[in-house]
Amino acid sequence: MSTAVLHPETDGHAVGREVMLRADKVTMKFGGLTAVDSVDMTVHNGEIVGLIGPNGAGKTTFFNCLTGMYLPTSGQVTFNGSVLPPKPREVVKAGMARTFQNIRLFPNMTALENVMVGRYCRTSSGAFTSIIHGPKYRAEEIATRERAAELLDFVGLGGEGGHLARNMPYGNQRRLEIARALATDPKLLLLDEPTAGMNPQETKDAEELIFRIRDTGLAIVVIEHDMKFIFNLCDRVLCLVRGKVLIEGTAGEVQSDPRVIEAYIGSPKTKENPDA
Amino acid sequence: MTFLDPLINGLSLGSLYALIAVGYTVVYGIVQLINFAHGEIFMVGAFGALSTWIVLGQASANLSWWMLPLMLVGGMVVGVTVAVLMERFAYRPLRHAPRLAPLITAIGISVFLQEFVRLFYGAIPGFPDAKAAVVFPQIEFFTGPAIEFGGAVIQRATFFTLGALAVSWAFLWFFVNKTKIGRAMLATSQDPDTARLMGIDVNRIITIAFAVGAALAAIAGTAHGLRYGNIDFKMGFLAGLKAFTAAVLGGIGNINGAVVGGLVLGVVESLATVYVPGQFGGAAWKDVWAFVLLIIVLVFRPQGIMGAKVVDRA
Amino acid sequence: MTASATTRQRAYNVERIVGLVGGLIFAVSAFFPWAYGHEALDDMAYFGSPSPLQWFAVVMALALINCLAASLLEPTLNNSTGFLKLLGRISKRFGWIRGARALAIGMLAYAVLAILAVALELNGLVNLEMGAWVALVGAGIAFGSSMMLPTGRAPFLERIPSYPVLEIATIALLLMGMLFASAYALSQEDGGTFLMVLVFIGALAGFAIGSGFGSWVATAGRRHRTVLVSSAFLVAFLFPFTQNGSDANMSIATQVLIFAATAVGLNIVVGLAGLLDLGYIAFLGAGAFTAAVLSESAFATINWHPPFIVVMLLSGCISATLGLIIGSPTLRVSGDYLAIVTLAFGEIFRITMNNLDGSSGPNLVHGSSGIPAIPNLNFFGFDFGQSHVVAGIELGRFANYFFLMLVIMSIIILVFTRLNHSRIGRGWVAIREDERAAEAMGVNVFGLKLLAFAGGAFLAGFAGAVKAHVDVSVVPDQYVFLESAFLLAAIVLGGMGTVMGVLLGATLLKLVPEKLRFMSDYRMLIFGLLMVVMMRFRPEGIIPNQRRALEFHVDDEELVEDVEERLPYEFVEFEEVPA
Repeated sequence: MSTAVLHPETDGHAVGREVMLRADKVTMKFGGLTAVDSVDMTVHNGEIVGLIGPNGAGKTTFFNCLTGMYLPTSGQVTFNGSVLPPKPREVVKAGMARTFQNIRLFPNMTALENVMVGRYCRTSSGAFTSIIHGPKYRAEEIATRERAAELLDFVGLGGEGGHLARNMPYGNQRRLEIARALATDPKLLLLDEPTAGMNPQETKDAEELIFRIRDTGLAIVVIEHDMKFIFNLCDRVLCLVRGKVLIEGTAGEVQSDPRVIEAYIGSPKTKENPDA
Repeated sequence: MTFLDPLINGLSLGSLYALIAVGYTVVYGIVQLINFAHGEIFMVGAFGALSTWIVLGQASANLSWWMLPLMLVGGMVVGVTVAVLMERFAYRPLRHAPRLAPLITAIGISVFLQEFVRLFYGAIPGFPDAKAAVVFPQIEFFTGPAIEFGGAVIQRATFFTLGALAVSWAFLWFFVNKTKIGRAMLATSQDPDTARLMGIDVNRIITIAFAVGAALAAIAGTAHGLRYGNIDFKMGFLAGLKAFTAAVLGGIGNINGAVVGGLVLGVVESLATVYVPGQFGGAAWKDVWAFVLLIIVLVFRPQGIMGAKVVDRA
Repeated sequence: MTASATTRQRAYNVERIVGLVGGLIFAVSAFFPWAYGHEALDDMAYFGSPSPLQWFAVVMALALINCLAASLLEPTLNNSTGFLKLLGRISKRFGWIRGARALAIGMLAYAVLAILAVALELNGLVNLEMGAWVALVGAGIAFGSSMMLPTGRAPFLERIPSYPVLEIATIALLLMGMLFASAYALSQEDGGTFLMVLVFIGALAGFAIGSGFGSWVATAGRRHRTVLVSSAFLVAFLFPFTQNGSDANMSIATQVLIFAATAVGLNIVVGLAGLLDLGYIAFLGAGAFTAAVLSESAFATINWHPPFIVVMLLSGCISATLGLIIGSPTLRVSGDYLAIVTLAFGEIFRITMNNLDGSSGPNLVHGSSGIPAIPNLNFFGFDFGQSHVVAGIELGRFANYFFLMLVIMSIIILVFTRLNHSRIGRGWVAIREDERAAEAMGVNVFGLKLLAFAGGAFLAGFAGAVKAHVDVSVVPDQYVFLESAFLLAAIVLGGMGTVMGVLLGATLLKLVPEKLRFMSDYRMLIFGLLMVVMMRFRPEGIIPNQRRALEFHVDDEELVEDVEERLPYEFVEFEEVPA
């Protein structure tokens, strides 16, 4: 059933050959600081790409460049063959949705309403039909509500739709943010640290949810610090350090690369560090 | 008429704007609050100065030069008192409220102060009715016959206004950069939370910022009275808006910017009145041009011409 | 629920009984004379025969006694069996103490007002009789004790199952009551009496809301929206028939409607889209000037006089165009800067109108003298200037305009509520809550902001076109910044994002100064102060949009619980989806 909820045209998790997203030498400078330094990235159909790197490596900035929140200093982003304009709204319409590292729900809307806002770009009732309650308005309103309820169910918030977002537990807020992003009917989902600040149980639940989304065939790019999580999930991993791609490869390759470990914990001498 | 006349006139007008603009900028720099009621402090300050003269000099029709410092002090006391009360009772409780709240409060305060002066100023025994413009004492030394200087005619009030601006600017520079309180203000403007951890009484700093702004606005109010010969309860509205334009023009939060912005605005307004040709020139349209400039600055260059501080008023 | 745990430790019975005594004293005082002379208020000089105002005092006192007695008896009832236990269980759902507080505050204000009014009208406090002082003491006791009582938890009366017939009957009765109350209040020539009637109505409303009856009515109203809305309009429609052809009150009522219609339009911008527009009066002005210039006035400058429907649409369109222009900076500026930009636009409009006098600019509106002698409207031979007799009651010129404004008002309300409950309304909420997140979720932020500006302006243009004909003349200085601030005050006072709130706010702001002539000079002073006080204590207004209230109270957990439990009208109804 979950497959049907999200992605009717693809059947299950299968990495395709077609390039969906291509970031070409994306560079973002703030004054003298180069936060993202000519990063290349491709995402294929149905693929899960992990983005790792120490704090301040420019992961979120890169996300912001992809989703049109920042205008890259140079380089361009192509999605399904066409260059994305640096407008978040256009990016969402093209089929790319995101979540935020520090949750940005609409706090005084209910969970259901939050997800309904996600449907905004896929509906088009204007002022006139809304005022006269025309047939289009009625049809869209019902469809929007049903779709939102369905998505809440999908992320495991069925029955929680009447709660205010600001009053929900942290883990549920993360789920809700994912549901809201899914409501925009994305082909590619960008998750910015979906398990940050969660306790082990919540992390497990979140993983399970992301696996389920993956299983529906959506392509996903995910920023994470939890290595176990990344290596379980991702087909390919990019490690970003100081704005540059340090290494790109399968989870196994990246995991065993000494440079990655060095980037995270400083120098090889501290390898004995049990946290590594 | 030479080019110099409107230029000097503009500088004089601009120093008025600059003196008021500093108030917007100082408060904004510290609490990121745009105190839209600041124009009314300018008006209240002018009435404070007038009241001082009425009490001390009216009976003997005393217009000697030494009345002016007394009037300035009187105006400053009134202006600072009102500003501090306003901060304490209206703005402080709203420090963490959504942005709309302090803005609406500011409008409320503006309306209240205007109406208060209009209705009750004349009710004080011996004070003139303030429902229309009130005559401001013309202190001899500063309002006497204009001085001719290298082909330009300079009103004496202009000297006072420019001088007041110069002195205030110097004082501000010293106060902010060389005193302990000034450094505390700088620290608070950088990061109020850390400043509090460092033992700075942030509330006190904010009060001081309001007070400093109010004192300068009161000087401007007095200068306005000398320049135009009368004051009225409505004068804070337009002056406040224009000074706000000046503050934004110079980059809000930046004291030097406010001064430069004020002078630029004054000169532009004065030159435009003289040089914009045809029907849309002249005094009837000058406020429109000032507002157009305000809109252009806010829309296209909200960080100001000096570009000192990036403002995100989202 | 830690609060109720601590309150259980003490029963507060002493306070309750003291409050009861206070209420009794207040009730009894009504049977004593309050004033020495007959001229004060509505003649309170008799012993044993209360005036209407004194009867109102009795009503308030009885309601208070009822509240306190119920709260006193509740534990006893709960411990008994059978019918008494049922009563106790029903009683538990009421917010008795909240209701009592509202009443006590009202009583105190009532007594103080009465004393002030008598002293003012008869020159001096000596003209007060003992009854007034007794009333003050009684109200004081009731106030003090009810303030000491813990409020307990919010009432949840709306959960009691009830019959549709009962609900509809209640709605109808309440609305009829409102009709009579407003007719009665308006018929009071005496300012003091008028104010006291207002306080009385306010106290009863406070009692209803506090005790939980208000939310019961709200739920009932929600269930029978059509009944509520149609009977509300019926009541408004019937209002002119209660005035016996008096044009004085109808003139006020028409002005109130014009003002309220404009304020509801502004509420789209401020309350729904969350943008502060300080130049809104310019849209009303643009509509009025358009209508004036195209009217058959001898001073109209354009020699084209289309039918009024066309004029109205044109006024709306011109205002909307202005709205688009004023709204266009929202692409780049927001917050305080946007407010200032709108203010500047408003001033530019006024100064420009003043300058279009033939010397500083083309002569379009005769500058500051404006366009006088605008004739009355004429719809297919129906002359708005004529009186008409319907069902034996004479309806004058203002009644005609009142009906017209009522139609326009209903259009504006329809637009407001329908937009609020649509995809567009949700987009506005999202923008208010987190503009960047909204943009990132695909909401057309700029478009929706423009829509709010243009839509609000269009509606104001409508109202302005009628206003030109009602006022007979249009002058630029009617459209100053203070009027924009006044409109904003109506919203701030009444309630952000609600129609009812704005109607209440607009009515109070326009009506009170009309009735209290001595106050009209002080109206802006009082409303300036009111805005400051409201922002400090109740920024969401008297009848707020619950979501707006949440936005203003970032840390109020109790409010969150309360809203979540009831999920008021502003929110999308949530139904469990069968798995």
